[in-house]
Amino acid sequence: MYGDFLGHLTGVLGTPELIALSAIGAILGIVLGCLPGISSTMSLAILLPVTYAMAPEAAIVFLIGVFSASVYGGSISAILLNIPGTPGAIVTQLDGYPMARSGRAGEALTIALFSSTLGGIVGLLVLMLIAPLIVAGAMQFRSPEFAAATVFGLTMLAYASPGSTFKGLMAGLVGLVCGMVGFDTVTDTPRFTFGTTLLESGIDLVPLTVGIFGLAEVMRTIELGSAKTAAVERIGRLIPPWRSLLGLWGSIGRGSILGAVVGAIPAAGSAIAVAVSYTQEQRLSRHPERFGKGAPEGIAAPEASNNACVGGALVPMMTLGIPGDSMTAILMASLLIHGLRPGPMLFADRPDFVAAVYVALFLALIFTLIFGLVFIRQIVRLLQLPPNILLVIVTLLCFVGAFAIRNNVDDVIVMVAFGVIGFIMTRLKIPIAPLAFGLILGPILEENLRRALIVSDGSWLVFVERPISATLLAISLLAVLYPMISPSLRKGLKVGRAKRLNDVE
Amino acid sequence: MMKSITKRALMAGCAFAFAAGIVAGPAAAQDFPDGPITLVVNWPAGGGGDRAGRLLAQYGEKYAGVPIVVNNIDGAGGSTGVRFVAEAEPDGQTVGIFGSSIVAQQYINPNAPAVADLAPISFFGPDPGALEVRADTGIETLEQFIAALKENPGSIKNGNDAPGGWSYVVAALIEKAADVQMTKVPYKGYSPTVAAIMSGEIQSATLPVPQLVDQAKAGDINILAVTADERHFMAPETPTFKEEGIDLVAGDWRAVFAPAGVSDEVKAKLEEIFTKTVEDPEFQEAAKNVGFVIQPKGAEETGTYIAAFDENYYPVLLDAGLVKANQK
Repeated sequence: MYGDFLGHLTGVLGTPELIALSAIGAILGIVLGCLPGISSTMSLAILLPVTYAMAPEAAIVFLIGVFSASVYGGSISAILLNIPGTPGAIVTQLDGYPMARSGRAGEALTIALFSSTLGGIVGLLVLMLIAPLIVAGAMQFRSPEFAAATVFGLTMLAYASPGSTFKGLMAGLVGLVCGMVGFDTVTDTPRFTFGTTLLESGIDLVPLTVGIFGLAEVMRTIELGSAKTAAVERIGRLIPPWRSLLGLWGSIGRGSILGAVVGAIPAAGSAIAVAVSYTQEQRLSRHPERFGKGAPEGIAAPEASNNACVGGALVPMMTLGIPGDSMTAILMASLLIHGLRPGPMLFADRPDFVAAVYVALFLALIFTLIFGLVFIRQIVRLLQLPPNILLVIVTLLCFVGAFAIRNNVDDVIVMVAFGVIGFIMTRLKIPIAPLAFGLILGPILEENLRRALIVSDGSWLVFVERPISATLLAISLLAVLYPMISPSLRKGLKVGRAKRLNDVE
Repeated sequence: MMKSITKRALMAGCAFAFAAGIVAGPAAAQDFPDGPITLVVNWPAGGGGDRAGRLLAQYGEKYAGVPIVVNNIDGAGGSTGVRFVAEAEPDGQTVGIFGSSIVAQQYINPNAPAVADLAPISFFGPDPGALEVRADTGIETLEQFIAALKENPGSIKNGNDAPGGWSYVVAALIEKAADVQMTKVPYKGYSPTVAAIMSGEIQSATLPVPQLVDQAKAGDINILAVTADERHFMAPETPTFKEEGIDLVAGDWRAVFAPAGVSDEVKAKLEEIFTKTVEDPEFQEAAKNVGFVIQPKGAEETGTYIAAFDENYYPVLLDAGLVKANQK
């Protein structure tokens, strides 16, 4: 496979058309991803018809360019405007925006860019080298495992709001409840809609995050009176010191691996990957209190995860013919139109084409990195617009973003409502991030819990009989008990560290 | 509050449209299409419905003479997009491509628009159901499948949509026609169902043939039978239920609809555009590659087809306890 890859890479590098297509795809991806409301899925769907007339290899090079670049593009608006460009970027802004506000926008974007690229490469390596292995593991993920993994995610939520765990949990619970509004996924009947059509479409993640982060921030700025604070006057240095990038390798590594694995699990999606990797970093950090106030790890880990998901999501598509998410579903459609059906047959019969997919992803990562670096100065300059104009632009983007995700006016009303809720919550010093996490995890937990019980004929033992599910639940239990046992544990660590120091001396 | 805003916006919109009408003169049918046609898809980008809509838009522009723009209006089990078309100005500029879910939703969801709010324009094609099992169950024929269930009712877990969705209906129809009982496990769409049968969480699925044809070729899945009059072109060796002695023909379908108030002239023009598109050999070739069965029908025939479908479908929903509105 490795030889195929290199052979194909040299082949593609000798074909200017393919290089140009990948570059154009990357630019379009960054721009579309950056626009709030245009998710990676939407970008691909919009550009899919363009590829009908192309050769299959050209089509895949172009579309993977768009796909991979749009994932990074989504973090640009998250960092600069506090509005996620794509659903996968909702966590990036938790620390990206505070960092930009404190005059380190360039640094934040660069960290996001490097983490994205490295995460993308880890995803690609996983796809190339251990796809069959990963997919075997991912296929062990059935409904009980999904439910257990979500429980684990929820216990991490408790750590996501240091200082006010109680308030954080309450916000998380509100998020869980919000996830229940709309059509019940198991029985297909509307619930919690109060008889209105407004709530029938449910509370979508994008309008909610655009509201509680983006619009609420606009209101807060206006409340403060001086619009001055909205704009970031100093761009700051663009490239962070190498040493600080090197210091992030742990976060990037953990985020990448988590992203690649979660991405490979069909129907899991990048939203879970970023939520879990963010809370995990916070949990592992020696300074969890810095999170939410511009911690570089809070950008690096989720960005690496988000991009590693791309490679991960291609694993089940290439090996089993199962699209793991809506983005890979569109990639599959584009291949189907050319009479190529991804799956076990293609994987075995057409190694040349499989290699072409790998090369396409590799080129996409390189072009995203290049364009990201080249345009960073121009992108950041956006923040130097007069503050009142910037506020209008942000407000406009909030409305457009909430609407465009499903072309549904109801979502705009939901966005405005959560803008107000987010504003009030910030005033009451209730953390808002757990609300979004609750909304991500709630529906997944409910659907899989109920389905697991249907499959097990109602037996709750199914959650402890299956090894992965049991392990995840055990870790969750440990995470809950950890604060109670940690003081004695920390004492032990301190002794150990002191001992090691003595040994060194 | 919200209602008054919408109403005001609507009134402003009407006033604007009225003023524009005076200036431009009443829109006559020969002026149609006047600018781009919006084709509403009531599912998110990336799914089967979206794929069908985008193919239709791409090849339809040749016959429309104007761009056809796909607009994914998603939400409320597909009803939001349907309502958008049902309530649109009936000038033919806004149409939608919808599937059998519009028939189901009018019974399941009291707020969903009725099929009568739409005018059928042209048929896209049927999407026949099928029954697949994991190869490691050892079941190779429909007969064995039924025998296994007769012996041990509910022992086979079947992956399908939530109750209003199409693959659930296929499963319910199979149960009824063969007088068996399986455990119906709901999944959110076709891709998660494919993943679940491949992972072994479920033993059978009632997905359309293209979803599992490759896994069948690889030997992991046996496709037992299709619920159509004819065999499926992608799995020519798989028999139909009728051939196996069970009288079951059922299929999801897709068709193009306009708002119910559309004038006869505009309707005729739309019918011409979309029927010609569906008959176009290049379109048919592209659609076939994606796995769509294409079957051109005119407006009247489409209407008859849907009425017959409604007739057969209603008892299934009633049995499943899903009829919450518009009870017959």
